[in-house]
Amino acid sequence: MAGLEQFLQFTGFANVTYGHILMIIVGLLFLYLAIAKDYEPLLLVPIGFGILVGNIPFVENIGLQLGIYEDGSVLNYLYFGVTKGIYPPLIFLGIGAMTDFSTLLSNPKLLLLGAAAQVGIFITFMAALALGFSENQAAAIGIIGGADGPTAIFLSSKLAPELIGAIAIAAYSYMALVPVIQPPIIKLLTTPAERKIKMKPPRSVTKQEKMIFPIVGLLLTTFISPGALPLLGMLFFGNLLKESGVTKRLADTASKPLIDIVTILLGLTVGASTQATTFLKAESISIFILGAISFMIATAGGVMFAKVMNLFLKGDNKLNPMIGAAGVSAVPDSARVVQSMGLKEDPSNYLLMHALAPNVAGVIGSAVAAGILMGFLFKVF
Amino acid sequence: MFDKFSISRIFESDGLFISVIGYVIVFLALLVLYIFIANLQKILSLKLRKKLKSEGHKSADEKDLSISGEVSAAISMALHLHFAEVHDFENTVLTIKKVQRAYSPWSSKLHGLRQDPKK
Repeated sequence: MAGLEQFLQFTGFANVTYGHILMIIVGLLFLYLAIAKDYEPLLLVPIGFGILVGNIPFVENIGLQLGIYEDGSVLNYLYFGVTKGIYPPLIFLGIGAMTDFSTLLSNPKLLLLGAAAQVGIFITFMAALALGFSENQAAAIGIIGGADGPTAIFLSSKLAPELIGAIAIAAYSYMALVPVIQPPIIKLLTTPAERKIKMKPPRSVTKQEKMIFPIVGLLLTTFISPGALPLLGMLFFGNLLKESGVTKRLADTASKPLIDIVTILLGLTVGASTQATTFLKAESISIFILGAISFMIATAGGVMFAKVMNLFLKGDNKLNPMIGAAGVSAVPDSARVVQSMGLKEDPSNYLLMHALAPNVAGVIGSAVAAGILMGFLFKVF
Repeated sequence: MFDKFSISRIFESDGLFISVIGYVIVFLALLVLYIFIANLQKILSLKLRKKLKSEGHKSADEKDLSISGEVSAAISMALHLHFAEVHDFENTVLTIKKVQRAYSPWSSKLHGLRQDPKK
């Protein structure tokens, strides 16, 4: 009889709280958006299911080793890759092996759009400070504006591990919601005539250029911001595997099975880290609000900078300012949004390749920004 | 933690300084990369320019030696059509391939003929 009583106390029904139910609803919403609406299913399905896994109620801290925050549990071991910042560089390796930097090499001035869009990171950093977050926490929250999940996880694992769950969920949610967040901001800041601007087709890029870029790119960016080394080192390494042409097998592994495995583990554990008893706090809600603001400012920063650049560019060198929005590093979602908006304005205006350039520049820019913030704020022992 | 929004906290903790310097450094890093990429093509085409000059080609003095993406696409398409033999005109050479098959009563001519009716 005592055994039955204990069993009943161990069931989810006995331990459920309103928080668990709320988070399960959020998980189901993520799954609905991914499956029914096709919003970034590769991210939202693992995260959404992870939220369900992380919010099954049980008796915590009695040595059952079940929850993600309990030492020795399987989920805790898998979460180790998040808390120690192991998964993000591996994701960057895969991104590097998948990315074609040709458009960026053919029109390098678009790199500046990737830099401009990082304004969201620094403004949100200041806003978070004003709200009472510590410097380290504010930096980790600000990086959500880079719209780069791996970078956000990497920086928060180094500067504010206590906020990693909320920051990761916010970063990935906004990455998935790019098609919802960006179009109204782009429309607000551009005129119909600007949205119809056709850009000069990119020149062809030689194999030599493609091979030299990852090597010199690594040297130049990491000498300025060594904090970004784990991310940029892996990004450019992956790209060299692809472009060298002699390591096709390695490039294939990095860009397909490896990144898929890491995405599954990262998504599931980040989702499971939203365990209601640990996750549902006032500060998590503030992080979500600040993250959204950060993302919007970043989008606006990119668009406005493209408009400023147009003041100095002539003839067919002018930019369609919408591509500035792709300066956030949500690759390739932002570029896709710009492409579809461009096609709506003019069915013969294909902006995808042009938008991909600031998009990949944004990946580099947000990693550099993360490295800079780490350089400023990391506490030296 | 979130008592009130206070701008003074930004200044107390060097927030403005870190933000301005940080943003400038991000720009600087990507600007350096931009300058490098913008000049990379010129450096790589030095050898080609020398060769073109020695051969007396006028194109050696052109500012941009690269081919536009549209031209590359047209060349790629033409090569693809050529190698995939997808073209407007059919090949005029006809070949007949003789295939030898083993005997089978199913394909036997003898069995295919109508037998004379027996009287």
